[in-house]
Amino acid sequence: MTTGQYGWVTSPSTPGASTGYPWPIDSTRLSNGLRVVVSEDHSAPVVCVNLWYDVGSRHEPAGQTGFAHLFEHLMFEGSAHVRKTEHMRLVQGNGGSLNATTNPDRTNYFETMPSEHLELALWLEADRMGGLVPALTQETLDNQREVVKNERRQRYENVPYGDAWLRLLALLYPEGHPYHHATIGSMEDLNAAGLETFQAFHRQYYAPNNCVLTVAGDASPAEVYALAGRYFGAIEPVAPIPPAPSAHLPGPATEPARETITGAVPAPRIYLAHRTHAFGTAGYDAVTVLATVLGDGRGSRLYQRLADGKRIAQPDYIGSYGVDLAHAPAPLIITATAKDGVDVTTLEEGLTEVVGSLVTEPVTEEELSRAKALLTTAWWRQLSTVGGRADTLGRYATQFGDAAAAAYRLPLWLAVTADDVTEAARYALRPESRVTLIYLPEESA
Amino acid sequence: MTLIATRPDPGPARPYAFPGIRRVTVSGGTVVAAHLPGQLLASAMLLLDAGAARETPGREGTATVLAKSLEEGTTARDSAAYALALESLGAELSPSVDWDTFRVGVSAPVPRLPDAVRLAAEAARTPRLDPSDVARVRDDEVTALRMDWAQPGPRADAALRADLFGAADRYGRPPHGDPASVAAVTVEDVLAFHQAWLLRPGVLLVAGDLTTLDLVELGEAAFAGTSGAPLPPEAPLGVPIRDHRRTILVDRPGSVQSTLRIGHRAPERATPDYVPMTLAATVLGGAFTSRLNHLIREVKGYTYGIRGSYAMTRRFGRFEVAAGVQTAVTVPAIADTLGEIARTRLDGVTADELEVARSWRAGQLSVEMQTPGSIVGALATLVVHDLPDDYYATLRREYLETTVEQVSAAAARHLHPDGLTFVVEGDAAAVRDDLAAADIGELIDAEL
Repeated sequence: MTTGQYGWVTSPSTPGASTGYPWPIDSTRLSNGLRVVVSEDHSAPVVCVNLWYDVGSRHEPAGQTGFAHLFEHLMFEGSAHVRKTEHMRLVQGNGGSLNATTNPDRTNYFETMPSEHLELALWLEADRMGGLVPALTQETLDNQREVVKNERRQRYENVPYGDAWLRLLALLYPEGHPYHHATIGSMEDLNAAGLETFQAFHRQYYAPNNCVLTVAGDASPAEVYALAGRYFGAIEPVAPIPPAPSAHLPGPATEPARETITGAVPAPRIYLAHRTHAFGTAGYDAVTVLATVLGDGRGSRLYQRLADGKRIAQPDYIGSYGVDLAHAPAPLIITATAKDGVDVTTLEEGLTEVVGSLVTEPVTEEELSRAKALLTTAWWRQLSTVGGRADTLGRYATQFGDAAAAAYRLPLWLAVTADDVTEAARYALRPESRVTLIYLPEESA
Repeated sequence: MTLIATRPDPGPARPYAFPGIRRVTVSGGTVVAAHLPGQLLASAMLLLDAGAARETPGREGTATVLAKSLEEGTTARDSAAYALALESLGAELSPSVDWDTFRVGVSAPVPRLPDAVRLAAEAARTPRLDPSDVARVRDDEVTALRMDWAQPGPRADAALRADLFGAADRYGRPPHGDPASVAAVTVEDVLAFHQAWLLRPGVLLVAGDLTTLDLVELGEAAFAGTSGAPLPPEAPLGVPIRDHRRTILVDRPGSVQSTLRIGHRAPERATPDYVPMTLAATVLGGAFTSRLNHLIREVKGYTYGIRGSYAMTRRFGRFEVAAGVQTAVTVPAIADTLGEIARTRLDGVTADELEVARSWRAGQLSVEMQTPGSIVGALATLVVHDLPDDYYATLRREYLETTVEQVSAAAARHLHPDGLTFVVEGDAAAVRDDLAAADIGELIDAEL
């Protein structure tokens, strides 16, 4: 990609597109292995503290599904010098916002604070990195187990199509693969979770040498390095940290998989899914552009041809997206929901035809520049908060060993060609590697 | 132990400032803009006095159908060309409707914002509104609402709203209508709504790095072809509170959770009690460590989360608690919720709790207002509620200075545990007997 209004070298009108990260990035490593990344920006009196621990549900052995995520909950329930519920009270009670998430790859913790409370945030994070185990009680575990089971009910079991992601993972990745099971875990495994397992889990993975600490916003590198040394410096490293189970896969699936669920859903819905490339590779950059061409926005092929065009899909429920997993070929998910009176076979034929068109009808320059413009806006939106910046840098430091590699992602997206998209489709979207998940309403079965 | 035991003190407080606001009057309308130096994205929003309250009775959802029809082509280009033009700027249109306003928002990299605003105005002012397109969008919206109503929540929301405001009143009907009312919307309803309310100038909100943005040019694009003076505000609806409690059961067979919506009426946004009410609700159900979330999630494990708040518009307000709880503990969860509401009304808040609430609310004004999109939202609040440009600095100070006595008094005045409506959307077969046996209030079945 060298021409056009979104060219990343020549265009004067797309600020910052020659780099995806126009703020400073500084980093260091403490002697215990903790990597510290700082991105200074004093334009607002706020600062984000973000920790990526390189442990996720891909590390869970059979019988312990959901443990990494349940553990994330336990991290808010007190540590050596922080009483139960005090973590939340101290962050919110000083004006901050906080959360944590767990996915197959990793677990992240983050709080954005008025910047005078930077030191408090670092103290809280150090205390739960180095001092969680003594504070962990059976009562806390039992309580958070119930909370997580309610999370599972609320997000996956009690909503139509809510278990699609759980089913897709099992169809996409073979038994025993670290992505085969969903992060939320099974009720049976959650019920069996014992206190010793969680104590061992913390000792094994919540170590400074398995973590990246990123601070973005109203703080200087010198200040952050000094505070990081003070609060985290004496926490002992753990060696060696065992690798996650092997995530190797020889390539796209060679047999299609198909599942049809009849249940309490309001309309027929189809999910098509493929394993593509791992996040961070050139192949996955092409898949990211492909997913945008195919299914993001009203100008996308899916919308234009099936929601508009044939008018067989509901306009609010059509799209495609990649799930950015880095340790094995990541999924591309394509979904459409039938309009009233449209049968699921017609919808599936339409969907298959549009997906197939990515190979047979090369992507046009207009489609490509539309997709890149949307990706550019999405990228800058992600980086418009100190929280988004810290999380992005933490990801690149954790997964690629270099926070500054974040700056390459947007230029790499903008360099994807129409041929790259065709090639990605030809490689990853073959019918013989396709997972098809269909939901049908009970009455139409 | 290798850890530092002592909690650190805060560093020197940084000064708070809301971004500088500029106002420009042009072409019969007003541009209100906030300067965010260095931001690579900019946001704009056309804010029109054309909220759901202006819909014809029985045709609730008209404004929403119009909002979704705006991108079905304009007098200048068809829908495919419009989508391509807008999305090639990296922009997407976000039209939305609430009780007070009709909003057409757009975000783009700063150099693209003028073209994005032109396209947003083109859709808002000169949509094609071809009758067959409008009819199709209406039918799609009926389907989309049915999809939405298959989720837990919307039916409970509708039942609570109908009970608090009266099913015959516009405010007692869902803001975006229900499947039946949207099905009744005609093409003429949609055209008439556009003609009556979307051709007035309104206000253009802009947030971003204004260094290279010409606000006059943006305003001219936004207000071209419009006319009419601002509409006079209408009187508040009042705050009737029932003298007894009521439980409404919404059946969702097989549901593994009960979705709770609990509430009563409250004053409108202009109430002088806005700040102490907000702080009282934060102590009761706003922060993570609030009384409700602490007891019902962190102690009992009944829920993934529970929250309580006042929602306020120009003409009305409402206190509401929302949660999803495991089916088997529906009644204990309701009893505990009622207990905390009653306790907060009776005993007020403590100094420790208030300290958390006011620091959190004050801090959120900087922590949660970093993006052009969030600043545009903040500007919209100023315009809709006629608040001064220094409002956020004043609000921050008021949050920090409000006393325990003031907050406790607001809780006593604006919490009404004896007049609450409890909506339970869940598996009626599993919860009905327990609800009937519990001493909560008269039990009725929802008419949905």
